[in-house]
Amino acid sequence: MAENKLKAKEQAFKELSSKDKTKKITDLLLNNAMYIIIVLAVIYISIKVPAFLKLPSIVNVISLTAAKLPIALGIGGCIVLTGTDISAGRVVGLTACISASLLTTTFKVFPDMTSAPPIIVVLLLIIVAGGLVGLVNGFSVAKFKLHPFIVTLSTQLIVYGIILMYLMRGTNNGQTLSGLTDGYRNLVTGTLFSIPTATGSVAVPRYVLYSIILVVLMWVIWNKTTFGKNMFAVGSNEEAANVSGVNVSKTIIMVFVLAGMMYAITGFLDGARIASANANTGLNYECDAIAACVIGGVSFVGGIGRISGIVVGVLLLQIIFTGLNFLAVDANMLYIIKGLIILIACAIDMRKYLVKK
Amino acid sequence: MQESKQQPEQRETPQLRGLYSKVKISVRTLNIIIVVLVVLLIACMAYGISKGGFRVSFDTQGGTPVEMQSGIMYGEKIEPPEEPTREGFAFDGWYLDPDGTVAFDAASDPVTESMTLYAGWREK
Repeated sequence: MAENKLKAKEQAFKELSSKDKTKKITDLLLNNAMYIIIVLAVIYISIKVPAFLKLPSIVNVISLTAAKLPIALGIGGCIVLTGTDISAGRVVGLTACISASLLTTTFKVFPDMTSAPPIIVVLLLIIVAGGLVGLVNGFSVAKFKLHPFIVTLSTQLIVYGIILMYLMRGTNNGQTLSGLTDGYRNLVTGTLFSIPTATGSVAVPRYVLYSIILVVLMWVIWNKTTFGKNMFAVGSNEEAANVSGVNVSKTIIMVFVLAGMMYAITGFLDGARIASANANTGLNYECDAIAACVIGGVSFVGGIGRISGIVVGVLLLQIIFTGLNFLAVDANMLYIIKGLIILIACAIDMRKYLVKK
Repeated sequence: MQESKQQPEQRETPQLRGLYSKVKISVRTLNIIIVVLVVLLIACMAYGISKGGFRVSFDTQGGTPVEMQSGIMYGEKIEPPEEPTREGFAFDGWYLDPDGTVAFDAASDPVTESMTLYAGWREK
């Protein structure tokens, strides 16, 4: 099937005039500029530093991708609604701090506590906390028609304030929370399976599995449920969706609540992954997540996006930044490169939409 | 260009939706923007790679200062730094955190990012 399609495409391409051919090639090159750069960069890096393509490095890239996937999956929904969510990183920070303060052996934030509550209780608690922030975001966007940027900017600051105050509680005095329980750390970073290599073995952490589960869950929500279909309808044309009987407000609120829950899960995983949490945990995570979504084809035009695209976007971004780290590129320069990548991704996104029209 | 002269009205109507709804731009301009940005991105990467190298600085936490080392590539080891001294304390090695819980062995641990090492002290 695929071969036939390819042949048909080849045939159609041969029949084009030379002018059309150049246009087709330019389209192909420009629309895939980001992927081409990343492929070239990977080739260059793997020649310069062969360790980049070795198993430990690949497992490292996959693990980091898995750690950043949930937040991107959450933000993806907000972008489909032509919105954005810049409170995401701080919600990750808040939920990481709550997890680290409860599932610990030192109890600096709650000096009266003597033993850690069950992990599932903490997980549910932070999912509710993340969902609540999402509810505030979604409600303000849906009912007051405020732009998501303004709403999430304010919740971002409010959540940051809450994190700082939370860390001042008890005897903690704003310090980094650490000393997490073994059960919590093991649940997240424990070995899922090991891949034997020539020099020992490389362990794949458990949170990779959790990310895969979340990807499947979000894929089902986006593609197989009425809510998912409504989300795309609202994203591509709110009025039309309203006329055809979609409950627009409810859909918007649910997208933001779902996103908040995803940030909470990211925070839960991050606390254990980094083995500590402080006021800077989650800082700028939303930038990476938004960039990943745009690279993965979740369009700011609205109503366009696929879960597979988000996964590819997060993975590509992780590959390029791990690679640049292998080349010892200055962390300051990485911010400039990140900014340029977002700009290019947006320009390509616009171009694709205009050419299609 | 000719095409745009023939249909000026169609060109001026905003064609984009969503967050781009205020953007009025032609495909031609976008092509130029994409190419310029890609060149800029590659230039930044090339500059970053040519200036590559991690910095390792040393916080002696009250001891005699130790000079920063720069230009260390991924996976390389730092040159063993000179041991700082501090009155009333004995030097206890380098650590990744100020509290001295995660030790860093300069002779065997490879560098994978820019970082600061903290001196650990034992009371004499």
